[in-house]
Amino acid sequence: MNKKEFLGRLSELIKDIPEEEKKDILFDYEEHFRIGLEKGRKEEEIAASLGDPKVIAKQSRASCILKEAEKTTSVNNIMRAIFAAVGLGFFNLVIVLGPAIGLIGILVALFAASFAITVSGAAVLFGTLMGPVFAWEIYIPFAAVVSIPLGIGLTALGLLSIIGAFYLTKFFYKLSIGYLKMNLQIITNRRNRE
Amino acid sequence: MNIQFKKGVLELCVLSMLEREVCYGYELVNEISKSISISEGTIYPLLRRLKSEELVTTYLQESQEGPPRKYYKLTELGRKKEEELKKEWFTFVKNVNNFLKGSVKNE
Repeated sequence: MNKKEFLGRLSELIKDIPEEEKKDILFDYEEHFRIGLEKGRKEEEIAASLGDPKVIAKQSRASCILKEAEKTTSVNNIMRAIFAAVGLGFFNLVIVLGPAIGLIGILVALFAASFAITVSGAAVLFGTLMGPVFAWEIYIPFAAVVSIPLGIGLTALGLLSIIGAFYLTKFFYKLSIGYLKMNLQIITNRRNRE
Repeated sequence: MNIQFKKGVLELCVLSMLEREVCYGYELVNEISKSISISEGTIYPLLRRLKSEELVTTYLQESQEGPPRKYYKLTELGRKKEEELKKEWFTFVKNVNNFLKGSVKNE
């Protein structure tokens, strides 16, 4: 492999990371080639001692994608980070995916339940207040003394659970990133020492 | 074995070389690969990580032989880290050596 082939392959392999970052990475290897050539080494020789562009690309991609997931919170980013980490061969996709999907399921259920409680509270409140107006359509089996506090209480409970679920989601997101980061550092250095 | 250690060896070498002098990438790779056999290309991702952890900073400087080169310089935080890792390393080596001597005696 000569310089052009090496840089071309590397560039192709990291094409999905931000342009700025990509340029920065390629700059380092271009410089490495340039100085190596100045010292009288051959392009092929330099490329061979640099190692497989695939290994370099995997490391660069994984840490770059993770950095992004840390900066902007999104499901897409964390999924990309997980796949990049899987690509590094650290953990089996099946082992991580199962618990991850389970966790997402729990969070979704929590949001749905909180939302339902909020809506039911609002409905009870609305029903009680509007009951006299729509006497034929609405039937509330409680006295207003019970149903108004009940409605307010349910609405408040629902809203609080939504806020709780939101914080829980945020907490799990941070946790996942921390976990991926730890794995990445171990793997990067393991590969480095090979 | 301490996980911190596994990941620390190459990091320690890079940091300790930068502790002695400011280097450009090629120089670092060249020197370290003399002592440790590694794929040279993998030092650059490590350097990028050290930079993002603010253990090193980079700047461009003209060279006599051609275009400017990217130099790596240890930060105060990097200096502390280097010291810490070096201390850990020496303790570790001492303990392992003691252990190995002991097990030879027992045989």
